[in-house]
Amino acid sequence: MDVISNLGLGFGVALTIQNTAYCFIGVLLGTIIGVLPGIGPVTTVAMLLPISFTLQPESALILLAGIYYGAQYGGSTTAILVNIPGEASSVVTTIDGHQMARQGRAGPALGIAALASFFAGCAATLLIALAAPPLATIALQFGPAEYFSLMVCGLIAAVVLARGSLLKAVAMVVLGLLLGLVGTDVNSGARRFNFGMTGLADGIEFVALSMAIYGIAEIVYNLEKQQTASIVTGAVGRVWPSVTDLKRCAGSILRGTALGAILGVLPGGGALLASFAAYTLEKKVATPPRQFGSGDMRGVAAPEAANNAGAQTSFIPMLTLGIPGNPTMAMLIGALMIHGIAPGPRVMTDRPGLFWGLIASMWLGNLMLVVLNLPMIGLWVRLLRVPYRLLYPAIIAFCCVGAYTINNKPFDLFVMGFFAIFGYVALKLDCEPAPLILGFVLGPMMEENLRRALLISRGDPMVFLQEPISLAFLVAAAALLIVIAAPAVRLKRAEALNE
Amino acid sequence: MRIRAPRDFWSGVMFCGFAAVAILTARGYTLGTAGKMGPGYFPLLLAVLLAALGATLIARSVVLSGESISRFHVLPLAVIAAAVCLFGVLIEPLGLVVSLAALTLISAWAGAQFRLAEALALAAALIVFSVGVFVYALGLPLNIWPSL
Repeated sequence: MDVISNLGLGFGVALTIQNTAYCFIGVLLGTIIGVLPGIGPVTTVAMLLPISFTLQPESALILLAGIYYGAQYGGSTTAILVNIPGEASSVVTTIDGHQMARQGRAGPALGIAALASFFAGCAATLLIALAAPPLATIALQFGPAEYFSLMVCGLIAAVVLARGSLLKAVAMVVLGLLLGLVGTDVNSGARRFNFGMTGLADGIEFVALSMAIYGIAEIVYNLEKQQTASIVTGAVGRVWPSVTDLKRCAGSILRGTALGAILGVLPGGGALLASFAAYTLEKKVATPPRQFGSGDMRGVAAPEAANNAGAQTSFIPMLTLGIPGNPTMAMLIGALMIHGIAPGPRVMTDRPGLFWGLIASMWLGNLMLVVLNLPMIGLWVRLLRVPYRLLYPAIIAFCCVGAYTINNKPFDLFVMGFFAIFGYVALKLDCEPAPLILGFVLGPMMEENLRRALLISRGDPMVFLQEPISLAFLVAAAALLIVIAAPAVRLKRAEALNE
Repeated sequence: MRIRAPRDFWSGVMFCGFAAVAILTARGYTLGTAGKMGPGYFPLLLAVLLAALGATLIARSVVLSGESISRFHVLPLAVIAAAVCLFGVLIEPLGLVVSLAALTLISAWAGAQFRLAEALALAAALIVFSVGVFVYALGLPLNIWPSL
């Protein structure tokens, strides 16, 4: 069996003392920032990028990936105990999780969240191991036309699945694409949109841009909200759920995992959407008696399984196509490029140790996370007592040091200041930043593939419709847009995303 | 004409503004043809699309009604953005200690619950941590003290 020998190779990489240590650091950091509201995986991964310069690419990727899926575990702790999502993807966990905590069942709520996450994480990692190789084989045959259409389809899907106004999300994608073009054009050497500033010759630094929007702008936005935290600090009690509880939740965990795994693969999906969808589904199909909203354990189990499965499977498009589904994946692509590895289907064949090592480390990391989260829950609760007024200057400080050390360029700090203001305005105007970030990363790739496709076809745009795979992507994109524009679906979407 | 959806209206204005800047800047770039795209081709395509999307948002905002914009807290935003830029100005000539102290104190002051003693302690802790981790443990090329 190929998969088994490959996994053997992967565990060989992941189980070295060094990589095990980085995996542990990654999931530990992930848990911490997951628990802390106001700092997410995007900012953390960005802050750690300069550190990952000094590591082997395998170790760097294992470390950074651990932060992302570790955050999904940590987020549920805050959601259950404080009624504030520690991570955006644990918003729905607050609904039933915090009710359970108020009824004195915080322990089992935390326990089921961790167990559901563990099961989903393991199952979804297996899915990556099985699905990625055939997908990469297909992707190897893609030409520029296919890639261009795939990116169009991916961006449209990201927009459709984003929350809020569709029109604004499309505009944010286009703006992101434009911002991605700032700097020197690789083909002609022409300097574009540098406004006479030499600092922009290499384009806008991605890390500075994303830290400005996800770090600084978010902080300013959070500062104006009055935090009304109601921490349930009483005894957390027994953490292990009873056998009856487990039986009751088994179906929800399975459904959550399946739904999360599918939605995670879609661009713009990932953990956040998965948890919303799983909760909505659970409210419809769970066997009565249902007490959703007033402390139903399945309302914790399903979304927690889904957000973990989604977090894992969102690695699939990144690893097989080199296309990021969410801002964290875009960051990991950045990390690979820093190490001189072009993300895409070739990574699997050219650097099997990197690919399978990452997958093996995910199992390892999920196992560590259960151990970190169940017995050590008291420690994380104490972490929640750190007031935000101490936390946010620290985040700003690490963002600034991180942004500077990427290129040792003071100019990047000015970029960060500018986009912090932009990010705040965008948040105030209900413009979701994720589509902008995806557009930014895909901008240069899209231009290059469009240019090549049209060069081959001698300027005939029909090439995108004549290649069958390319046509399929475009039809899918059009179908998504038409479906979402239909009034009935639009209502449903608003309902599902705003619950 | 009344603006019924201020958030849509102002996002439309913002997108149109970005598009206008892009179109004006890209005037001088070679367009080329579809088969042989110049550096101006794709940017102009995107800028025109962005302008169209922005205009649609503006047009829609006088027809459909939407939520009003919550108050802008300009002061904390301006102070923190300025602190970030100041860090960029100070880091090379004055080094990590001074620039981190300035950054931490200014950004802590921007919040509503500023306490001087606490902020000083926080700045000291962050400086010790950053120097220890970034300079000594990771060996990143950062000046610690002012280079005279």
